[in-house]
Amino acid sequence: MTPQMIFLMFFGGAAVWFGIVVFRTHSMVRSALALLFSQTAVGVMFLLMQAEFLGVLQIMMMATEMSVMAIFMVMFMMDPGGMGAMDMTHQKRLSLWAGGIGFVAALAVIWLADWGPANLQIPDATEQTAELGRELLGRSMFIFESAALMILTAMVAATMVAIHPNEGRKR
Amino acid sequence: MIPELIIALSVGAALFGVGLYGALSQTNLVMIIMGVELILAAALVNLVAFWRYLHPDVPAAQMFVLIVMAVMAVEMAVGFGIAIARFRSRGSVEMEEARELKG
Repeated sequence: MTPQMIFLMFFGGAAVWFGIVVFRTHSMVRSALALLFSQTAVGVMFLLMQAEFLGVLQIMMMATEMSVMAIFMVMFMMDPGGMGAMDMTHQKRLSLWAGGIGFVAALAVIWLADWGPANLQIPDATEQTAELGRELLGRSMFIFESAALMILTAMVAATMVAIHPNEGRKR
Repeated sequence: MIPELIIALSVGAALFGVGLYGALSQTNLVMIIMGVELILAAALVNLVAFWRYLHPDVPAAQMFVLIVMAVMAVEMAVGFGIAIARFRSRGSVEMEEARELKG
């Protein structure tokens, strides 16, 4: 067993464990922090798989996203501290079955599929980033620009939805 | 059989299962968004693993990861926009109470 496999298992286990904690804790801030740790563990897995740029991007992006999420949770939840230990779940049995079946089906595909030969000749980090840049500004430029436009549209749409309908008429 | 690929894909499968459970079982909109985030994280792990162990010479795979990250950001922005609108009009983001579109 190589060190890469051991660390992949460790951080993969951490990502899954913190993912479970998200739905097990009653405190919403703990929940948001657990999701942050889970996403950070995923980012570390990217670093272990030598995708340095994506790993750092994942950790930075998720740290910001989860901080915003924690603020929203405290704002919107009826019991953000979890002191009342409220149960905010429904159709638990069905959800457990759906999650379990999804997991087992994915595992079956993983173990039964023929993944073909491994290609372990990986370019170094500098070359990877340069290649990604060439890809983004070359062949995939249209898709990349579409993603940017999608984010802009979502930002405008989210702001429009969030603005109170009578906001302008008050003055 | 590539053991590292199998480990990464298994982690992705587990994250998908946990995320699916969360998205279906939670009644609060923000918690449902968290479940969807976990499902998308599973997709990210799979994409990076496929790139690393099967096609490390194809940079388009990394570009695909960037697109999924953009989808994650968009999903959060729109979800929170809806949450604010819902909270302002009904004072709660509990999805059990959101039955307006039910026939």
